[in-house]
Amino acid sequence: MTTAAASILVVDDDPINCMLLTRDLERQGHRVATAEDGVRALEALRAEPFDLVLLDVLMPELDGYETLAQIEGDETLRRVPVIMVSSLEDIESVVRCIEMGAADYLAKPFDPVLLRARINGCLTKKRLHDLELEYIEQVGYVVEAARAVENASFAPESLDPVAERDDALGQLARVFGRMAREVNAREQALKREVQELRIEIDEERAAAQVAEITDTDYFQDLQRRADELRSHSER
Amino acid sequence: MAKIISIHSFRGGTGKSNMAANVATLLAAGGRRIGVVDTDIQSPGIHVLFGMTRETVTRSLNDYLWGRCEIGKAAYDVTSRLDEGLAGRVFLIPSSSNPSDIARVMHDGYDVGLLNQGIRDLMRELELDELIIDTHPGLNEETLLSIAVCEALAIVMRPDQQDYEGTSVAVSVARKLSVPRMVLVVNNTPPVFDFAEVKERVEKTYECEVAAVLPHSEELMVLASQGIFALRYPDHPVTALYRQVAACLTA
Repeated sequence: MTTAAASILVVDDDPINCMLLTRDLERQGHRVATAEDGVRALEALRAEPFDLVLLDVLMPELDGYETLAQIEGDETLRRVPVIMVSSLEDIESVVRCIEMGAADYLAKPFDPVLLRARINGCLTKKRLHDLELEYIEQVGYVVEAARAVENASFAPESLDPVAERDDALGQLARVFGRMAREVNAREQALKREVQELRIEIDEERAAAQVAEITDTDYFQDLQRRADELRSHSER
Repeated sequence: MAKIISIHSFRGGTGKSNMAANVATLLAAGGRRIGVVDTDIQSPGIHVLFGMTRETVTRSLNDYLWGRCEIGKAAYDVTSRLDEGLAGRVFLIPSSSNPSDIARVMHDGYDVGLLNQGIRDLMRELELDELIIDTHPGLNEETLLSIAVCEALAIVMRPDQQDYEGTSVAVSVARKLSVPRMVLVVNNTPPVFDFAEVKERVEKTYECEVAAVLPHSEELMVLASQGIFALRYPDHPVTALYRQVAACLTA
């Protein structure tokens, strides 16, 4: 199984090993960065995203176990798979590393075919995992959009990254976004229509009603006396 | 010199009594002596807003109109029911909410002239600064009288097709009775409207000043039925609008 080019961090205090691994990986089309101990490895991992770490067990400063422990203890860094690298006789420590969360191990000296197979296996798993995480995150956008529609705070562009997907979730986001836009447009139109207060009065009928009242003797008497009635109150 | 202010609406259910009660209370809060006469004898209600019930109304406008008592005996000083600290006073002359009294009024009517006399007596007796008449909707004889005697008239309407024509009739009739000051109050306005535009359109249509455009809100309706809104919520924007109406009517 072949995988696309990945960004790999090689951590080894032995420059020859580093060089050999780098050459081999670059031949496979990967981008490679190196670090000579655990401290620098962690710095590199925090500085830029990597798809995979090849980590030597025995190193000065911060050894492979401690480095692995720190990677696995970090919410973000733990997403990067780590392949431990050690000599064959270190098999016990390799087991320990795998128990601590390492994805796999490679024995020195490297068998190029095995190296490739393990790396590709790891990268494939990582990509699937990343896709899964992205899927979950994008499902979250759709859920959030539904909540926003309820609160009348929906911004249609919030679904754009999900709508670009060519799977069922993408279709859901496109349909959802379109429906929300249509409902919103209809509401706006309704609002514009309602906001225009129209006062329609049948003038003729109103005039007839006024006449019916004002033509009475009672009203005419009242009309004559209105001023007198009011001035009365001013005493 | 007491001033008669009539609060009218062509149709019922526009919030007329609430308007009258709030305007009366706000004027009293300003230190004035205010009388409120409920002339809506066919469907009385304003007494409830002033904290009175059918049981506590022992004498009413009906008793006066039927010659059973002097008008002053039917006046209740409701100030303490509102707020002990109110600078002025509010006197309420309620209508009877006893069903048989209402039936009698609807059947026999009453002497409109007597109502006029009663109003005069009240103003003198209670030394009122303003007397507010909560009218009966429509334009029957007693309502026409309360328009003919008032110096200021507020016609309450809702922005509703059913109200437009009747309000137009009421405005025309009031003009013929030369009411010195007439304003419209648009009540229960749905929030979808642009209130400034509503004011402008209503003023243009009726060629009459709009004192205030009040919003419709369910919350407001619940609160308004529990007493005098302006007293309970003195800082509410709606109270400011009631104040605006009061100022317009006493200007």
